[in-house]
Amino acid sequence: MKLQSSNCTMSFDKPKHINYWKRCLKTYLPNAYTSNDSNRMTLAFFTISALDLLSTLDDPATLSDEERASAVAWIYRCQHPNGGFRGFPGTDFGELSNAENAVWDPANVPATYFALMALALLRDDLMSVRKTECLAWLRRMQRPDGSFGETLSLDGAVEGGTDSRFGYCAMGIRWMLRGAVEGPAWGVPDIDVEGLVRVIRNCQTYDGGISELPFHEAHGGFTYCALSVLQFAQRLPSDTAGQKAGDLSDIELTTRWLLSRQVPAVDEEGDDSDSDASNNHSGTAQNPHSAAFDHFYPIPTADVPRPLCIGFNGRTNKLTDTCYTWWIAASLKMLKRLHLLSAEPACAYLLEQTQHRIGGFGKHAGEPPDLYHSYMGLAALALLGHEGIKPIHPSACFSLDGVQWLEGLEWRTKLCAKS
Amino acid sequence: MSYSASPLWADIVPLPQDDGPGQPLAAIAYSEKYSEAMSYLRAVMASNEMSERALDLTSDIIALNPAHYTVWLYRVRILLTLKKDLHAELSWMNPVALVHLKNYQIWHHRQTIINALNNPDGETDFISKMFAKDAKNYHVWSYRQWLVKRFSLWDAGELEFTEQMLKEDVRNNSAWNHRWYVVFGRGDEAFADPDIVMREVFFTQQSIRLAPQNPSPWNYLRALARRASGPAALPLSSLQPFANTFAPLSAPDAVKSTHALDLLAEIHSENEADKDKAYQALELLATRYDPIRANYWNYRRATLEGVKTV
Repeated sequence: MKLQSSNCTMSFDKPKHINYWKRCLKTYLPNAYTSNDSNRMTLAFFTISALDLLSTLDDPATLSDEERASAVAWIYRCQHPNGGFRGFPGTDFGELSNAENAVWDPANVPATYFALMALALLRDDLMSVRKTECLAWLRRMQRPDGSFGETLSLDGAVEGGTDSRFGYCAMGIRWMLRGAVEGPAWGVPDIDVEGLVRVIRNCQTYDGGISELPFHEAHGGFTYCALSVLQFAQRLPSDTAGQKAGDLSDIELTTRWLLSRQVPAVDEEGDDSDSDASNNHSGTAQNPHSAAFDHFYPIPTADVPRPLCIGFNGRTNKLTDTCYTWWIAASLKMLKRLHLLSAEPACAYLLEQTQHRIGGFGKHAGEPPDLYHSYMGLAALALLGHEGIKPIHPSACFSLDGVQWLEGLEWRTKLCAKS
Repeated sequence: MSYSASPLWADIVPLPQDDGPGQPLAAIAYSEKYSEAMSYLRAVMASNEMSERALDLTSDIIALNPAHYTVWLYRVRILLTLKKDLHAELSWMNPVALVHLKNYQIWHHRQTIINALNNPDGETDFISKMFAKDAKNYHVWSYRQWLVKRFSLWDAGELEFTEQMLKEDVRNNSAWNHRWYVVFGRGDEAFADPDIVMREVFFTQQSIRLAPQNPSPWNYLRALARRASGPAALPLSSLQPFANTFAPLSAPDAVKSTHALDLLAEIHSENEADKDKAYQALELLATRYDPIRANYWNYRRATLEGVKTV
């Protein structure tokens, strides 16, 4: 898509973004990230992938050979002996590890996907990934109903929520390590893809979105995860207008729900969004009778020009937030309907309202940047075709360059050729 | 007092975090307090210690890093092993939940505890406290759904509860969603019950009158028309008079709701003789009332033309 950003008064300040991410790479993250300590692998992926999207990861001035080797070594250090990766080294008991305490030091499904992606972006060949153990562990992470969890208990119980985030990461791991191979790979049978697709189907809501569990509220992030599962499983419909998807019960309704997420921002005290990666932000109750609410869904008239900056919310009647530009736009891209979205106001929202002058993006206008929203803002601009950022893969969530590197790896080419 | 200075912990050799020899990724400037607490946590986890002091240590860790994915599991194991009073656990948990509103591990933990207690008493009161802070908290609504199903609370005032929440904020989509769950979450039979469907239509239409541009009840109403069946069947076209009052196509200046226009476009597209009205509604949306979505409304127009030429 060609982006017309002529109306933007602020442009994408690429050098500032590069500096922001270099600081994340080379210096300690502020103490406030302690509440994300267990998700360090996620933060590591954001850092590596952002620098890749900004075409600076291969520059020795960004990452020397020695630093690259260190980064790769740190990720592999988090690899679990029995397959998968930890989210951080904080549960590793080192020499004291034994069968009795292994339950407190499990591999983690999202961390494993983030680790594999970061390794590929660092141009590692993934030869040191214990693929057989990883895929065997991944099978154990699936429940009989088809859903995936986060970690495994010693007695084989699958711990963590049942929501589609874990199913998405599981499908990402499967795609990276075994491509589209049918049947066993690396000596391990496939996961139950049909079971997972069934779970996703049951999470479609009455208004056209997709939720974490049947009957829960439709949510932009879960909708993205669900559609990504279907894309990884090659179960999305063609883009023929009006055609019903085999595994999406009503693609028109889902399209409508996704496009309805683009709403004007409201200047309002408080924060009621639920997208934050950190856990220490308190929400503030909104006053539904406040004057601000009257403008929440303004009806533009000839006297009221259409607003220029229009971002996305994640649920009906919620505030816009940087990250939902990614979750919603990428979902539309997978449905081959990105062209239906108003791209120019979407970019303007990010560039003029949530882009921060020190680089990165905040969650809402005027807020300081954090790694999560900075990555999602950057990924969204990449998806919308902004110049100066590498094209991005909608379900993988990293650059097409990175995907090409992964798919060109010798072991993977051979594996996929056999099937 | 720090752990290393405490006589209670004198027998424990702390196990420091090992990030390896090189430069780690995503290194965080830990406080000394957190680093030390984590080192003691690893030490007691490594020896599977089930003790009061280990339980207190998990509280300290959770206060600083509630997303730690095994400290909660470890805490449960200690509680059950020491046969602790689980009501006391609830009392400990409540303020933690009220501080860490966005944390989801705590709700998983709460499910575990309430499930073990096998008694939901007091839970809806606590949920009300959470909603007073954030009436759209996703984790709390998810937890409430679990509670309703686990203890069969469908008819214990749940419908009235959604009504109260919507009275406070008719735009609370989480409350609308919960209402759908309470009414239709027990099985598809409700879709064929005329009394239930008509009650929902009435409630929804009353809500729309309060705020015609609120998308939540419109989505609910359209879903009713799509799903109602048998003796309760609700043809989309039956909603036309209602939609007309908010978007009279004969008086385009008086349009009060884009959602009414959208619904009228869909209703009129079902009938070849009314296609022009569908075009008009979509045109009003694209050029005047909802230009943010002009591409989408134009796509709907193109779809209509496609159907027309068949």
